[in-house]
Amino acid sequence: MTRFAAPAALLAVLYFAPALSGPYLLHVLVLCYLYAIPAVGLNLMLGYTGLVSLGHIAFAGIGGYTAAVLMVDARLGYWSALAVAVAAAGAAGAAIGLVCLRFRSHFFMIVTLAFGLMLYSVMNNWDDVTRGAAGFPGIPRPPAFTTLESFYRLALTGALAAFAVQWLVVRSDFGRILIALRQDERLAEAKGVNATLYKTAVFALGSALAGLGGALQVSFLRVAAPASFNLAESINAVLIVIVGGAGSLAGPALGALLFVGLPEYLRVAAEWRLVVFGALLVLITLFAPRGIAGVIDDGWRRLARRGR
Amino acid sequence: MAQALLEQVINGLMTGSVYVLVALGMVLIYGVMHVLNFAHGVLFMLGGYVCHFFFTRVTGSYVLSLLLSMVVLALVGLAVERGVFRPLQGNLRNQVIASLGLILAIENLVVALWGPNALQLRVASTETLVALGELRFPAHHLMIIGITAVCVALMFGFLKWSKLGTAIRATSQDRNAAMVVGIPVEKVDMATFCLGTALAALGGALVGPLFLVFPQMGDAPMVKGLAGILLGGMGSVPGAVVGGLIIGVTESVSTLFLPTDYRDSVAFAVMVLILLGRPQGLFGVRVRGEA
Amino acid sequence: MRFTILLAACLAATAAAQDKVAVGVVTSLTGPMAPPGKFQMNGFNLAAEEINGAGGIDVGGRKYLVELKVYDTRANPAEGASAMQRLTTVDKVPVVLGELHSGVAAAEAPVAQDYGVPLILTVPTGPNLTEQGNRFLFRVNASNDQLNLALADFVAGQGWAPLSFIAWNNDAGRGGVNGMKKLIGEAKTGYVGYFNVGDVDFSSHVSNIRAANARAVMLFMDEEPGSLAIKQIRDAGLKTQLIGTLAMGSDRFLKRLDAARLEGMVQYNAFPPNANTPRIRAFSERYKKKFGEEAHGFAAQSYDGLMLAAAAMRKAGTVTDGKALREALASLEHDGVIGRIKFDAKGQAHPPVYVTQWCANGTRRILYPEAFKADCGAG
Repeated sequence: MTRFAAPAALLAVLYFAPALSGPYLLHVLVLCYLYAIPAVGLNLMLGYTGLVSLGHIAFAGIGGYTAAVLMVDARLGYWSALAVAVAAAGAAGAAIGLVCLRFRSHFFMIVTLAFGLMLYSVMNNWDDVTRGAAGFPGIPRPPAFTTLESFYRLALTGALAAFAVQWLVVRSDFGRILIALRQDERLAEAKGVNATLYKTAVFALGSALAGLGGALQVSFLRVAAPASFNLAESINAVLIVIVGGAGSLAGPALGALLFVGLPEYLRVAAEWRLVVFGALLVLITLFAPRGIAGVIDDGWRRLARRGR
Repeated sequence: MAQALLEQVINGLMTGSVYVLVALGMVLIYGVMHVLNFAHGVLFMLGGYVCHFFFTRVTGSYVLSLLLSMVVLALVGLAVERGVFRPLQGNLRNQVIASLGLILAIENLVVALWGPNALQLRVASTETLVALGELRFPAHHLMIIGITAVCVALMFGFLKWSKLGTAIRATSQDRNAAMVVGIPVEKVDMATFCLGTALAALGGALVGPLFLVFPQMGDAPMVKGLAGILLGGMGSVPGAVVGGLIIGVTESVSTLFLPTDYRDSVAFAVMVLILLGRPQGLFGVRVRGEA
Repeated sequence: MRFTILLAACLAATAAAQDKVAVGVVTSLTGPMAPPGKFQMNGFNLAAEEINGAGGIDVGGRKYLVELKVYDTRANPAEGASAMQRLTTVDKVPVVLGELHSGVAAAEAPVAQDYGVPLILTVPTGPNLTEQGNRFLFRVNASNDQLNLALADFVAGQGWAPLSFIAWNNDAGRGGVNGMKKLIGEAKTGYVGYFNVGDVDFSSHVSNIRAANARAVMLFMDEEPGSLAIKQIRDAGLKTQLIGTLAMGSDRFLKRLDAARLEGMVQYNAFPPNANTPRIRAFSERYKKKFGEEAHGFAAQSYDGLMLAAAAMRKAGTVTDGKALREALASLEHDGVIGRIKFDAKGQAHPPVYVTQWCANGTRRILYPEAFKADCGAG
């Protein structure tokens, strides 16, 4: 029972945050939640199944732009548009995933990167539909969640839903098979697992989650712009997952907090902020390879040992 | 039409040559250390900046500045190899992260030190024009193609006939066997990384006078060089050369038929298509579990 | 950025007891849009220095020194939104200025509206920014539509057809091309080529332009790629008429090439630095004195933006009430460096747009509008 005391307390604090803190902090937290959702999807793909995709956020873009077009041009209701956007991202993930999964390790990475770049080109160049590089403004927030405080609760709920999905998957047989595939694919196949089927499924699921994050993000910012879904953002997502702790349940949350929170905190340092950030990344890989979750884990263990 | 085609082919050979220089460095490093160095692009860029520094502050000789920048970057490569990639050997994921961290740090460091504006390298060879029939090209274009060709030839010779070159080949074929035979693999790692970085620096210094020196100048060549290696076959040196050139020429020629916005996509689409049919790349050897 | 730190330090040292008002600025300090960002900051810094040199803004009997609170948005909408959020709710500035990128401005504008803090844009040109019904969004510079209108008018008068384009693959480039195509019509449009920010190789575009026999080529890009494109066009032996954006009307641009290669290139210009109009002359001289180079249009627009904000504060009699400032801005008529600034119902100003041309001796002449026509050296 005490295992759940700490997370429950944390959740309570987070839910009541609008009453406790100012709008800027809420805004930054919303961004953290919205960045965490695609990160959860990528964690399932990368952390648990071992698929390093460098084009993940392009699927967030698919979700975002689909939502934009449906909500603004087709005047579809908010929630229906959101659902279709998530489904579209998932479907795209399944289709593109099938092509990418014909490759392994380095090749897989580069092909996913290539698809990410191609999708970005479409978002940026297809002026008639996506409004091109200047962005697609005028995207609404859902009717009951137009203020920052109410949208905050929506974003938190969305993030929790994503984490719930992650937890369910990891605990299930599906999840166990994914982990088996990451550890030794040949052995799993020898035991009768259809590797391609499972990998495509997780690619699709991961992309759908990315789509959810993207759709919510364009709704929050009230604009969909290609700049939000470019290669740099995809790389950011990989870093969030790995630095947070790939293959751990809390990893995406920790990573998102670090990657959104820290640059905001460092705003004072202007040009040097990214130099510091990059240096930090290198140091983390050298001295904390299992990411923040790993550091925390090691910390617990050391404490537990002391206690004995 | 034939003339436009010829013009684009020559342009493609020029951009392709730059990709080849990047690809060569990356493929050597990959072959020996099994490290995919994404930071190669910023090293390319640093090569351009260092060359500019020497050219404008120290010596007015472009050739000397170019050579000096190669030396300096080789030393930088040494530092990166020992400090970052050697400790991370075998861990692909962390190598990628570390590379990305390096990119962020170095690109922004350059902006903080030199400012964001592009720098100019005023070199004679960019001003003189060479006529090929009705077409005209700056001499520098053809110089890039020429120098790259010479480098490639030297590289082949070096790898085939020199002691270090043979050691490099041996280590990339089978690291353990090389150790057994008494090859100092750690020294080979260092030498290869330095060599690869020097090639990248050469690329940056060659491109600088033509296209200006700016912080993001290495991003596209790195990605294209990577595509070239994949196309040619990971670990294959001739593959890197052919792959780089194919990417360059295909890109340029495609603009005759397709909207130029999609130029980058075309190169990648071609790469994906070829890999789908031949996953090990044109010259690569099919390794079980890799593709 | 160093200027701002220095400025802030000086202010802090000499005016410990003096009242201050913090004005928010969003711009690109790093990333590929950093070069134009620098010009923007120069404009803000120059204006701030002049205001503070005169003792500050006179509001309600007290003088307030201007302090610039600058945040880097790196051409990323999420960063823009959070910078805006921080400025309005943490730094509590009464007004925000700047931005370079239309997509980012589109994310900042709703936040401005949410918290009742006016956002005065000084560079983004995306036309649909002012179409969102946002009463707190103002734009000092001309939008793509306005720029294109002036240029199309001029080009039609010259009979240059077919017109080819090489453009940045971003909001400024694509927006510009689309706008021009609508104005001159498909029949007169030749080859259209896009390139990504950071791309430096224009050889494919050059070949296509040659093949299309373009009478004139319009370059929608900033001066760095512009100088490369023109060099490559001329190196390939093409003698087409060149048309450029305001970035290609500066001396700095000229330093990268020589006037002979430009061969009578024209460009639309928000700000011909050597024009004989006193307001332009005076500004150019002050700018040159402080920064050692020729004034850039983005700097002039930004300078006007800050001066306008100061004027609004004086008129509204407040340095804290964003809504009052909004009302003041909506009704204000301000004589800026770029011309008379008065916002229409959508928050858009209508500054004059010039067309200048390079003379062989490296000076400029003004060709359009008729009223401002001037000869070589006065452009």
